[in-house]
Amino acid sequence: MEVILAILVGILFTAGVYLLLRRSIVKFIIGFIFISNATNLLVFMASGLLAGAPAFIRDEGGEKIIMADPVPQALVLTAIVIGLGITAFTLALKYRFFQVTGTDDLDQLKRTDQ
Amino acid sequence: MNTAAALPILIPLVLMIIMIINRSDTLARWTGVAGSLLLLACSVYLFATVRHSGILTLQAGGWRAPFGITLVIDLFSGLMLMAGSVILVAVSVFSVRFIREDCCNNRFYVFFFSLAMGLNGSFITGDLFNLFVWFEVLLLSSFVLITYGSTPQQLKGGVKYLALNLLGSLFFLAGTGLFYGETGTLNMARLAELLREGEYSASLNVSAILIFVAFGIKGAVFPFHFWLPASYHTPNITITSLFAGLLSKVGVYAMIRVFTLLFMHDQVFWQHLFLVVAGLTMVIGGMAATAQYETRRVLSYHIISQIGYMVMGLGIYTPLGIAGALFFMIHNMLAKTAAFMVAGLIRRVKGSYELMEIGGLYRERPLLAVLFIVPAFALAGVPPLSGFFAKFILIKAGLEDGHYWITAMAVFTAMLTLFSMIKIWNEAFLKKTPGNHPGINPPVRLNWIDLFPPAFLGSLSILMGLFAGPVFRFALEAARVLTNVSPYIESVIYGLSP
Amino acid sequence: MHQALLIYLTVGGAAFLFPGVGGKRRALVPALLLAGFFLFFLFKLPFIAETGAWHQVILWIPELGLNLEFLLDGLSLFMVILVAGIGALVFLYSRVYMKEYQETGRFYLYLFLFAGSMTGLVLSANLIQLFIFWELTSVLSFLLIGFFHEKAEARRAAFQSLYITGFGGLCMLAGIILLGSIPGSYSLPAWLASSAAIRASSFYVPGLLLILVGAFTKSAQFPFHFWLPTAMKAPAPVSAYLHSATMVKAGFFLLARLAPVLGGTPEWKYIISSVGVLTMLVGSYLAISQKDIKSILAYTTINGLGILVLLIGINTEQSASAALIFLFVHAMYKATLFMMAGMIEKKTGTRDIDRLGGLARHMPVSFIIALLAALSMAGLPPMLGFLGKELIYEAKVELPGINFPLLVLGVLSNILMVAVSLAFLYKIFLGPPRRYAVAPDEKGWLLLAGPAVLALFSLVLGLFPDLIGNTLINTALPVMHAGAGEVDLKIWHGVNTVFFLSLLTVFFGLLLSWLIIRKTTLLEAWRRMNNAIFYIRFSELFSAAIDRFIAFSGRKEKVMQHGYHRYYILTIVSFTALLMWGKVILGGVEWPEMHVRVESFFIPVLVGVMVPAVLYSTLTRSRMAAIIDMGVVGYGISLIYMYFSAVDLAIMQILVETLTVVIFVLVLQRLPRFAILSTRRTRIRDLTVALVFGSVMTMVALFAVQANVPKPVSEYFQDRSLTDAFGRNVVNVILVDFRAFDTLGETVVLITAALGILVLIGKKTGKI
Repeated sequence: MEVILAILVGILFTAGVYLLLRRSIVKFIIGFIFISNATNLLVFMASGLLAGAPAFIRDEGGEKIIMADPVPQALVLTAIVIGLGITAFTLALKYRFFQVTGTDDLDQLKRTDQ
Repeated sequence: MNTAAALPILIPLVLMIIMIINRSDTLARWTGVAGSLLLLACSVYLFATVRHSGILTLQAGGWRAPFGITLVIDLFSGLMLMAGSVILVAVSVFSVRFIREDCCNNRFYVFFFSLAMGLNGSFITGDLFNLFVWFEVLLLSSFVLITYGSTPQQLKGGVKYLALNLLGSLFFLAGTGLFYGETGTLNMARLAELLREGEYSASLNVSAILIFVAFGIKGAVFPFHFWLPASYHTPNITITSLFAGLLSKVGVYAMIRVFTLLFMHDQVFWQHLFLVVAGLTMVIGGMAATAQYETRRVLSYHIISQIGYMVMGLGIYTPLGIAGALFFMIHNMLAKTAAFMVAGLIRRVKGSYELMEIGGLYRERPLLAVLFIVPAFALAGVPPLSGFFAKFILIKAGLEDGHYWITAMAVFTAMLTLFSMIKIWNEAFLKKTPGNHPGINPPVRLNWIDLFPPAFLGSLSILMGLFAGPVFRFALEAARVLTNVSPYIESVIYGLSP
Repeated sequence: MHQALLIYLTVGGAAFLFPGVGGKRRALVPALLLAGFFLFFLFKLPFIAETGAWHQVILWIPELGLNLEFLLDGLSLFMVILVAGIGALVFLYSRVYMKEYQETGRFYLYLFLFAGSMTGLVLSANLIQLFIFWELTSVLSFLLIGFFHEKAEARRAAFQSLYITGFGGLCMLAGIILLGSIPGSYSLPAWLASSAAIRASSFYVPGLLLILVGAFTKSAQFPFHFWLPTAMKAPAPVSAYLHSATMVKAGFFLLARLAPVLGGTPEWKYIISSVGVLTMLVGSYLAISQKDIKSILAYTTINGLGILVLLIGINTEQSASAALIFLFVHAMYKATLFMMAGMIEKKTGTRDIDRLGGLARHMPVSFIIALLAALSMAGLPPMLGFLGKELIYEAKVELPGINFPLLVLGVLSNILMVAVSLAFLYKIFLGPPRRYAVAPDEKGWLLLAGPAVLALFSLVLGLFPDLIGNTLINTALPVMHAGAGEVDLKIWHGVNTVFFLSLLTVFFGLLLSWLIIRKTTLLEAWRRMNNAIFYIRFSELFSAAIDRFIAFSGRKEKVMQHGYHRYYILTIVSFTALLMWGKVILGGVEWPEMHVRVESFFIPVLVGVMVPAVLYSTLTRSRMAAIIDMGVVGYGISLIYMYFSAVDLAIMQILVETLTVVIFVLVLQRLPRFAILSTRRTRIRDLTVALVFGSVMTMVALFAVQANVPKPVSEYFQDRSLTDAFGRNVVNVILVDFRAFDTLGETVVLITAALGILVLIGKKTGKI
C-alpha cells in the first residue's frame, strides 16, 4: 500500500518538475500545484498510514484507542491553506504579467538578468 | 517561561493590522518609523534579558515542549533580532521619502510589517514546521513587495523570484514532513536530543539534503542563487535595501540554526558540502560582480559572494568559525543595506544606476561620498571597520582549523570585493560627470531624512569595528551555545536556565 | 604613547571638523602636531637608550589576541622620528604647493591621517594592530595618489597601488595568523620569546612567504615594483612623503621587526637577498633611461628599497647598521629631491628632463640644495650618503661565503646610481639653458625650507656622523640584531678593499654620467634598446590582466545568469536529485522494502485513475483538459486522505482544489493557448531530470514511512485533547490550540496574499 502511494508521490513529483521546466507559465503553475500536492501527500504519509481510524475522541474514558497520527494531518492542513494563498497570488501575478507583457512564454523573462 | 518572548511576533502583527485599517499616508509613514523603533527597543530588551538570565523560552499556549510550539530566544536569535530591527528602523526612515518615488500608496507598510513578522518569527521559533510557516509569511510579503510597482521589469523579476523560492518552500515542507516521519517530533531541541541519543538511520541525511537545498535557495547560495541577481535590481530601492539586509540572511540563519542543532552524524560530509558550496558562492558571486556596471547589480552579486563567507564559517564548524559567521552576518546586514541606500541616493541625485552615466559626485556631494565609502570599505574589509574583523575572524578560524583552500578563496574573494567597491567609487564619485549624461537639473536637494539611514548604519559599522570586542564576545558566546547544544536542549525541554 | 596618538587624532580631527578653524593655514595644525611628535620622541631617546624599550598594552579584543600594544624601542624611535620630522616638513611644503588646487581640505585630512597611521604602524607591537595601520596607509595612499581624480591615469595609479599593496596586506595577514598560531599570540614580545619554535614549525616557510609577499608589495620589490613609478601621478608632497619615510619603508620596517624572529634561516637569507638584489638592479638600470624627473626618482627609490631588502636579507651586524644608516640617508635625500622636483615642475611647467636645463642661474638656492641631495644619492663625500655606501660595501665584503657576486652586482648598481645622480643634477641645473614660458624663480620660501633642512642634515651628519651613530643608530641596532655592538662611523676608513671599491664606483660612475650627458645619441640608443628588451610594462600588463579577468567573469556570468528561468530550476532540481541519490547510494542507507501488500482495492484503483490523469495533464495541449485533469488529481488525493482517516484534510483539499480550479478557469479565459515551445531533445532531457528527482522522492517517502518510530507527541495530543483542551477532533485541537502559532502564521499568509492580490490587480483601476 505504502509502496503504491510512494510511487504515486514519485510520479507526481516527476510530472510536476517536468511541467515546471516548460516555457508556458500556465504549465508552470500546474506543475507547481502537482508538486505542492505531492509534497502534502508525502508529509501526510511520512508518519505511517492507518485506514479507517480518524483522530476523533469518542468516549470520555481513559482507554486508549488506536487512531491515525493527527500531527501530519494538522501540518498538511496548514500547508494546504498556505499553498492556496500562494497559488492565488501566483495566478494574480500571472494575470498581471500577461496584462503587462502580453506573453505566456517564460523565456521572454530573460531580459531582467541582462 | 517569559511572555515577552512573543513580542517580536505580536508587535508587527498589531502594527500590520493598524496599517490595514489606516488610510492616511502620513500617519502610515510615521507609524512605520515608530513601530520599527518599538521593535528595536523590544529586541534590545530581549537581548539584554538573554544576556542576563540565559535562554528565554515561551511554550506557546502553555503546552510544554516538545508538544506545543516553543519560542526560543538564545543569544544567536537575540543578536539577529537586534540586527534585523536595526535594519527595519533604517529602512522605515528611508522609506519616508523614497517609497513615494514610484509607488503610490502606503500599503507598503502592511507588507513591511508582515515581512518583519515573518522575519522575527523565523528568528525565534524553536519548531521546524513553525519555521516553515514563518518562512512562508516572509516569502509572501517579499513576493508582494518585489512586484510592488507592477512594472514589466518587476513582474519579470518577480516571476523568477517566486518560482525559485516556491520550489525552496516545497522542499523545506517535504523535508520537515520526512523528519517528523523519521523521528516523531518537530521540536528542534527534542530533535537535537534524539539525534544525539540514538542511532538514527542514515536516510535522515537524505531528507536533510532537501532542507539544505531549501535554505540554500533562501540564502542565495551557489548553485541556487539565480533568483537574486534576476530580481534584486527591479523594485524600488527601499525594498531592495530591505531585502539586501534581511532576506538572504534568514536563509543563512536557518542553515546555521538547523544544521548546528541537528547534524551531528556524518559531519564530515556536511562540512565538506558547506565548504565547497561556500567557496563557489564566494568566488562566483565576486567574479560576477566585477563584470557589472549597474550599482544595484554589482551590489546584488556581491551579496551572494558575502553569503559564501557566512556559509564558510558554518562549514568550519568551530566556535570561532561560527562566531565569525555571526559577526559577518551582522556586519553584512548593516553595510549592505547602507550601500544599497547610497545607491538609491545616487540615483536620486544623478538619475541613473548605470556607472557609465554618472560621475563627479566626489566633488559635488562630499557627504554622499563619505556615506558611500564607509559601507564600501567595510564590505571590502578595510580596517578598522566592521568588515575587517568579520574577515579576520573567519580567516583565523579557517587557518587554525587547517582549511587552507577555503581561506585562500576567502582572501581571493576579498580582492574581488575590493575591486568592485573601487569600481563604484571611481566611476560614480571620482570621474567627471560624463558629458552626454548631465544628470538632473536643477540639482536635487537631499534632506536629513534621506541621509540619516545610511549615516546611521554606517556609523554602526564603524562602531562595530571600534568596539569589535563586545560584539565578538556576544558572537562567540552565541556560537558556543550553537556548538554545544545541551544548554539549548535543556532550557527548551526541561525549562532549565543554563 | 597611545595618549600621544589620541591627542594627535583629536586635535587634528577637530581642526578638520570645524572648517572655520585655520582656514588657509589649516596645514599648519598637522605640521605643528608632527613637529611636536618629533620633539617628544627625540627627547625620549635618552630614556630608550637607557632602558631599551617602552611597552604599553591596552586590552581591546583579548579573545582574538588583538590588543593595542605600543612599543617604543630603538627601531620604532628611529622610524617615528623620520616619519614625524619629514611629515612636518612635507606639510609646510604642501601649504604652498597645494595652494592653487581645489579640495585641499580633504587632501590635508588624508595626509594627516596617513602620517598618523604610519606613526601608529611603526609603534605597533601587536602584529594584527600593525596590519590594521598597514591597511590604513594603503587606503589613505590610495586617496592621496588619486588626488587628481578626474584624470583617468591618476585613478588607475591609485587603484594599482591599493590593489597591489592590499593584496600583499591580505597575504601578510594570513601569514601572521598562520605563524601566530604557534605562540598563540600576535604580540611581538611573544613571538620573540618563541622564535625558535616558530622557525622550527612546519608553518614557517608558508608563513614566511606570505609575510614576505606583504612586505615586498609594500616596499615595491620586483616583480611588484611597478605600482611605485605609476604612483608618481600623485602631487609632489605625497610622493616626497611616500618615497622617503613612509609607505615603502613600512615593508622594510616589518622585515626589520621580524628579523630576530624569522631571520637567520637559509630561506630568509636567500629569498630576501635575491629579491633585493634583483630589485636593486632593476631600479638603478631603469632609472637611467627615464625622462620624467619624478620617474627617475621613483626608480632610484626602487633601487634604494632593493638595497635595504638585500641588507635585511643578509642579516649580519654590519648589514643591519648599514641598513639603518642607508634608510636614514635615503629618506633625507629622497624627500629633498621629490620636493625639488615638485617645485621645478611648478616653476617651469615640465618634468621632462630633456626640456630642462640651466636652472642654476634662475634658482641658485635650489641648485645648492639639489646638489647636496644628489651627492648624497650618489654616495659621494662629504655627504651622509657616502657613509651609507661605505657601510654597505663593508657589510658585503665581510659577509661569509657569498660575498663575491653580491659585491659585483652592488658595485654595478652603485655605478649606475652615481651616473644617474650626476646626470640628473647636470641636466636640470647646469646644461644648456632652455626657454621657459615664465622665467623660473624661487618665490615661496616654504617650498625650499623643507628640502634645505633635510639637505643640511645630510651634510652635517656626513661631516659629524657620530651625531647620529652614537644616538639613533646605536639604540636601534640591538633591536634588529641582538647583541650587536656599537657602530663606528667615520668618513675615512683607511686604504682597504672598501676604499678601492668606492674609487672604482666613483670612477666608472663619472665616466658613465659623462657619456649620458655628452653623447645624447648613446642615451637614445640605450632607451630604444630598453624599450625593446623590457617590452613588458608591468603596470600595463596588470591593467590588461584585470580587464581580461573582468571580461572572463562577464562571460561566465552571462553563461550562468542567462535569464532562462527554467534552466535555473533545472540546475537546482538536478543538483538536489544528484545529491540525494548520491547520499542514498554512498551514504550507507538501507534500501526500503519494496514489498507490495494490497489490503484493499480502493487505493490501487484510485491510483490507477490518477496516474493517467497526471500523464494526460502533463502532455496535453488543451489548457482546459490540463486543468480538469489537475482537478481530478486533486480530488483523488482528497480521497486518499479520506481513506486514511484524515477527514478534515480531505474536506479542505476538496475545497481548495475547487477554488483553485475556478480561479484558474477565470484567469485562463484571458490567456493564450499553449504552444509547443520546446524541442524533442529538451523534453527528453527535462523528463530525465524529472524522473531522477521523482524516483528519489519515492525513495525518501518509503524511508520515512518504514521508519516506524514512536510518536510521543501524537500520543500526548490524543491524551490531552479532550481533557486539557476540550476538543474531540484532535486535528482541530492541534490547529487552534497545540500549534496555534502555525495557524496565526497561516492567517497572516492568507491576509498578505489577499492584500497582495489587491495591490497587483488593483493597480490598473488605481484604487485599493
